Amino acid sequence: MPGTATLTDDLFAPGVIADPYGYFGALREIEPVHWNARFGLWLVTGYEELVWILRHNELFSSAVIKHVKGPPYPPVDERDLPLFDEIRDFRANQLVEQDRPEHLHQRGVVHGYFTPKAMERWRPFVRAAVAEILDGVRPNGSMDALTELAAPLPVRIIAEMMGVPYQDRDRLRAMADGILYINRGEPHRLRPLAEAVRGIVDYAAPLVEERLVEPGTDFISVLADGENRGVFSRRQVLVNTGLLLFAGHETTMNLICNGLLAFIRNPDQWERLQADPEGMARTATEECLRYDPPVKSTQRIASDDVEIAGQTIRRGQPLRWIMAAANRDPAVFSDPDSFDIGRQPNPHLSFGSGIHYCLGATLARIEGQEVFRGLAERFSGFELAADRIEYQPSLQFRSVKSLPVRWRA
Amino acid sequence: MTRPPPGPFVGPPGTGPVDESRKRVPRVLNIHVDHDRCVGNGMCLTFAPGVFAHNARRQSEVVDAEGDAVEDIIVAAENCPTAAIQLSDAATGEPYEV
Repeated sequence: MPGTATLTDDLFAPGVIADPYGYFGALREIEPVHWNARFGLWLVTGYEELVWILRHNELFSSAVIKHVKGPPYPPVDERDLPLFDEIRDFRANQLVEQDRPEHLHQRGVVHGYFTPKAMERWRPFVRAAVAEILDGVRPNGSMDALTELAAPLPVRIIAEMMGVPYQDRDRLRAMADGILYINRGEPHRLRPLAEAVRGIVDYAAPLVEERLVEPGTDFISVLADGENRGVFSRRQVLVNTGLLLFAGHETTMNLICNGLLAFIRNPDQWERLQADPEGMARTATEECLRYDPPVKSTQRIASDDVEIAGQTIRRGQPLRWIMAAANRDPAVFSDPDSFDIGRQPNPHLSFGSGIHYCLGATLARIEGQEVFRGLAERFSGFELAADRIEYQPSLQFRSVKSLPVRWRA
Repeated sequence: MTRPPPGPFVGPPGTGPVDESRKRVPRVLNIHVDHDRCVGNGMCLTFAPGVFAHNARRQSEVVDAEGDAVEDIIVAAENCPTAAIQLSDAATGEPYEV
């Protein structure tokens, strides 16, 4: 493979974590479907290749955790290894890890809850939550946008969707924070993660019992209805409650932080947003999603031998599709490395494609739109209050470790 | 006694005045799938399999606009995760908002 020899094969190298666009962008130009021998997986970086794979779910299984049995990476404390199986079971039972026909039955239970029309009804609640948070921090002159805005906002919304009693909000927040360790590199990370996973399962269990008998309009009632209809086991109801808490948290956090950072680094685009916050919020959010996506990559496993882009992927081989690279494919996006909040059309792949297209996409969009609009309406501008931005050592998520910013009074 | 601070009173989703935009259901629909938006999620094929099928790119196409009941087509459009399916009244041409 001429050309790839000069690129590192260490996907966790500090340079690759800091700038995935440089690394995976170079790979996309050399070999859009590339075998990484060090990690034993295919890397898919080309836009068309990625869409083809995602729309051929019969050839590529989502049941990755069930089939890939390697040790945790980055490595963890050896005495914590028993916890790994517990966490694997939690994740393997989630909706996102299922294939058809089970996936269709399970998605059918929750899909209606998340339609664009149903989610649009949440916009006033999201707007009010954004206003409360931003008005609360404004007098301070600075904040860590991660811990003071991006992390609490989605948990507040998820708590409301779950119908969690108000006095339990802090407890839910602590569990949500614990589940974020899925994406971290610390050797001790399995302990807080396992604690949070047990916490959400134990916490949700009596709520599920209640709603099996007396359903409401909340998300746990929707899952419980799936159990009543024989689609979900009790365990699946509980782990999918945990899925909502995690999937709706980490991703939205990253959308807000990565978007705000893009605006700080592109002041001309911030001025464009400020000139018309309401009018620009939609396309601006799409561009934030494309330019520095919350999820950099996701996995599949080949269910059959498949030829693509001159390569042969063998049945059982894992692959990682890098939407962060596909989103900057010059064959689809003009001037792909520039942040242009008026970009249209913007067919980014940050929510995936095909049958597993992100269930929470509309909610994420509404949260992004309301945050960027709310920021532009209240603040004249932001600057970084740190010399450099560090990222979690994750292949999957593009997550800053913190985002200290300040503003003029 | 302290009074709660004034602010917008936002009820739970679905709370508010009756949505008057709900119109009479047309007898026959014109159906358009916007391929700039369609991501091949396939839900429309589940709800209205007589109307929708996937093309070579695995995007939804209308193969028979009267292949399912109007009610099922409306459900299919409502369940499109990217709102890619646009409906209108075949008799009047008026858009039917789902």
